[in-house]
Amino acid sequence: MIEWLWLAPLFPLLGFLILILAGDKLSGPAVAWVGVGSVGLSAILAALVGTAFLSGDQVPYRLVLGSWMVVGDLSLPFGFYLDALSVTMLFVVTGVGFLIHVYSADFMADDAGYARFFAYMNLFVSAMLVLVLADNLAMLYLGWEGVGLGSYLLIGFWYEDPNNGYAARKVFVMTRVGDTSLALGLFLLFTQLHTLDIQAVLRASSQWQAGTWLPVAASALLLGGAVGKSAQLPLQTWLPDAMAGPTPVSALIHAATMVTAGVYLIARTHTLFTLAPAVQFAVALVGTVTLLIAGCSALVQTDIKRILAYSTISQIGYMFLALGVGAWSAAIFHLLTHAFFKALLFLAAGAVIFCFHHEHDIFRMGGLRKAMPVAFWSFVIGSAALAALPLTSGYYSKHDILLATFDASPGLWAAGCLGALITGIYSFRLVFVVFFGPERPGVERAIGWRMGLPLLVLCGLALLGGLLRIPLDSVFPVAVEAHRGFDAVSGITLAAPVAGLAIAALFYLTGTFSVRRLVSSGWGRGIQNYWFSGWGLDSLYNALLIRPFKAIAGFNKDDVVDAGYTAIAKLSLGLHYLTSASQTGRLRGYAAAMGFGAVLIIAVGLLS
Amino acid sequence: MNSSQLIAFLPVICIAAAAVVVMLTIAVRRHFTLTCLMAGLGLLVSLLALAMAGRQGPVQVTPLIRVDAYGRFVMALLLAAGLAVIAFCYDYFKNREGENEELLFLILAALLGASVLVTSCHFATFFIGLETLSVSLFVLVGYVLGQSGSLEAAVKYLVLSGVSSAFLLMGMALIYAQCGQLNFSGIEQYLASQELFNGMVLTGIVFIVAGVGFKLSLVPFHLWTPDVYEGAPAPVTAFIATVSKGAVFILLLRFFLSSGGYFYGPALTVFSVMAVASILVGNVLALLQNNVKRMLAYSSIAHMGYLLIAFIAGGRIAPNLVVESVTFYLVAYFMTTLGAFGVVSILSTPQAEAVALSFYHGLFWRRPGLAAIFTFMLLSLAGIPLTAGFIGKFYIFAAGADGRLWGLLLMLIIGSGLGLYYYLRLIVVMSMSQETGIDAGHEAAFGRVSSVILAVLTVLLVWFGIYPGYLMSLIQGLY
Repeated sequence: MIEWLWLAPLFPLLGFLILILAGDKLSGPAVAWVGVGSVGLSAILAALVGTAFLSGDQVPYRLVLGSWMVVGDLSLPFGFYLDALSVTMLFVVTGVGFLIHVYSADFMADDAGYARFFAYMNLFVSAMLVLVLADNLAMLYLGWEGVGLGSYLLIGFWYEDPNNGYAARKVFVMTRVGDTSLALGLFLLFTQLHTLDIQAVLRASSQWQAGTWLPVAASALLLGGAVGKSAQLPLQTWLPDAMAGPTPVSALIHAATMVTAGVYLIARTHTLFTLAPAVQFAVALVGTVTLLIAGCSALVQTDIKRILAYSTISQIGYMFLALGVGAWSAAIFHLLTHAFFKALLFLAAGAVIFCFHHEHDIFRMGGLRKAMPVAFWSFVIGSAALAALPLTSGYYSKHDILLATFDASPGLWAAGCLGALITGIYSFRLVFVVFFGPERPGVERAIGWRMGLPLLVLCGLALLGGLLRIPLDSVFPVAVEAHRGFDAVSGITLAAPVAGLAIAALFYLTGTFSVRRLVSSGWGRGIQNYWFSGWGLDSLYNALLIRPFKAIAGFNKDDVVDAGYTAIAKLSLGLHYLTSASQTGRLRGYAAAMGFGAVLIIAVGLLS
Repeated sequence: MNSSQLIAFLPVICIAAAAVVVMLTIAVRRHFTLTCLMAGLGLLVSLLALAMAGRQGPVQVTPLIRVDAYGRFVMALLLAAGLAVIAFCYDYFKNREGENEELLFLILAALLGASVLVTSCHFATFFIGLETLSVSLFVLVGYVLGQSGSLEAAVKYLVLSGVSSAFLLMGMALIYAQCGQLNFSGIEQYLASQELFNGMVLTGIVFIVAGVGFKLSLVPFHLWTPDVYEGAPAPVTAFIATVSKGAVFILLLRFFLSSGGYFYGPALTVFSVMAVASILVGNVLALLQNNVKRMLAYSSIAHMGYLLIAFIAGGRIAPNLVVESVTFYLVAYFMTTLGAFGVVSILSTPQAEAVALSFYHGLFWRRPGLAAIFTFMLLSLAGIPLTAGFIGKFYIFAAGADGRLWGLLLMLIIGSGLGLYYYLRLIVVMSMSQETGIDAGHEAAFGRVSSVILAVLTVLLVWFGIYPGYLMSLIQGLY
């Protein structure tokens, strides 16, 4: 069974080709069958391959399809690599991706670009599968760039609005910064190790002395790539803008695929990071700071999708924190559960937006729990999992992370717990504002089964996903898990989200406290605005990079070098008109010119 | 004439016989298709005779003609080009009014002249061959009398050709006056015995250069080119651009190689000046040209300039290298030029020649195959890789670099840059959406025979562009 692995990225790729070439000629249902079916086939295949792999002895499986390129001592095969880590990613990408596709079949049904949408979605899934299944870094990079292209196309899907085009470009450029870093990392690894095969790279690099410049530089460059794709500090500003795309796109990018690529990359090359303790600590630090500032930003947003976007940045921050403290399995476990509940939340948010005349502002909603029970329960379950309330899937993974963090660094653990508190507040703020309080009319339509079913499935997964822990011991070094009993540390870890829930309830459900009073003071409002703008990073980058760049570009607007080329063109034109004048068409002139020409060349001959 | 001489000379005899047979056939029955078939058959028989002679060593046939392997190769090239032109003529003329059968006779006669030219080793055959070729061309150029500019072109060509023949004869006379020889090898012996440059001989050579420069349309003897190219029927233009120029260039090369013209440095200086001027003027004139035939005429001026670079390098590098690069370039140039004018001739209708850009607007959407072929031809003219034109230009470059002709190579680069502009412009016009054009030339017939020839040419063009090795090794063994 496992040898059919290569079909997994191929199905969506075929779907993409069919839809992009013949999408216009297909009827709506046919488009849906191709677009959803291709990912569905991949999901079935992934389930079969994954169970076959997991029920075996989990020996990593390599599949080489053929040679991609051979140049000098660089030889790159089309190779796939399957181990417990890629199986996990395979499940997430195809499983959650499939549910999102089913949901999209309804959500996008009225859109003129139905076929184009599914074509891009298929391309995106295909690229992501190449990324997670690649057995060499160049293939991984191929998928990595394919994901970048797919995200650009999907975020700018409604390109008629220039703002969406701008958002798409911003995403592309911001992630490109990280991509460049990753490419440099690849070049460094290749020049040092003469191979790009991931396992060979990891084996060869283990010869390096820990803490020397080589592993530090290599892992730092890889980290640069990871923070770009996973929207971590300082490259996280693209993600809230990525909300410009259709909501299923947000679900796909934030839950199953793109943003997890960075986490996957670090997990995949974790031995390199263990050789560079400083960089690994930087990973933890980046994660911690990101989760805090993104959480604070989420607190004050009013756009339902932006709240979720910031929560994504924050949750990826947890994964980075886990990676940084060496809790590899916990990070991947959180990636898995996060995929479930974040997909659930986005799809539920999409359902709310879909039914509530495309409203995004949560303060214009309210009391929707009766009108939209499915969305309501989805949100409750999803938010509970996001906040990591006990017994939900998010609880298991985040609890693991925080406990592992405490063993590594109590300071980071405290920050993580603060983050958990904030998470509790903002996730239930959303629930209370949208679904409780006085009911606002405006629900226009109900969701169909194709939107409802994925929500139900994801509800189940968000609740019970904690049981789906895929054993990763064959990939990562087995953590010495000190089985702690119930003590102060785990107590506080457990209590933080609950406290967050309580605070949210006091503010938004019972009205005991009022936000308005908090922000009435000058500094309160200042903080609110500061957080709302995502800690002002956009304006900072604007001032530091964009404006100077534009100034330089403006300075040389009429390219100095161009003047030379323009002169050549002008000169040629001038010569053209000059010589054209000689073509009079008059025979006597031609004959005379021949005579003169003969005299001229005889003169040249005799005088030289 | 013994048997080996007969075998060596048989191809030329075949062409002459074919010309006579075609003429007699016309006298018996006027039938255009039949005449075309006869002429084509004649050329095939002649090609067969060439193949029969195979790798026979050099044979002197009378003091006037010397047939060697290289001469046979070039003759085969000329005959093949003649076949292609006959195919174009068939499609071009079959639906036209008038008595078009004599056209074939004229083509055969011109080919006869060209064949004599490329095997000539004596001023007599030099001149007779050239005149046989030219006199046939006068009539060919003006063949479609009703067409605008046709007669004018013929008269221009006639008069200016007469002037150039005068130069040629004067040059020959000067050289004969000094050397007492009309034979190329005799001239070489005389020149080798002299220690100093002889002013009279030099003047004679330069006169000959002037006469030949006219035929090759080198600046400053180029002015007739666009007018004649435009006025002549498209297949005849193809004939002038390839057979006439190719034969004269080969003659020039043989004359210089066998008569010791390369001893005369000043003559090479004259050529250098003409090469630079031709490259520059040809390309610059073509830049904004909206008439496709004129554009190709100007581009042919530039191409002859490029070819001269390899020729001039002969003063410094081994003769076989010069012959190799000139021949490869010429083969590529033949295929490309025939292809380009073949497209023009297919698109032409009895009402109008396909010279205006409007004929080519949106050609990609109307006749994708034809447009693709034309694109390949233009890319090859521009010297874009994967076409034979690129390899040819590479050869020129290699020869020029071997001969350390840096100034000329700089001109080659500049000229190629300028050339890209007008070649690509035509490609862009062809790929424009149909609506923007005036949509002329919709009624152009399919042209089955020409299309086959064009397809073959395109395949060869790309094949030699990707695997030039076969053609290279063929040419390398010739000289």
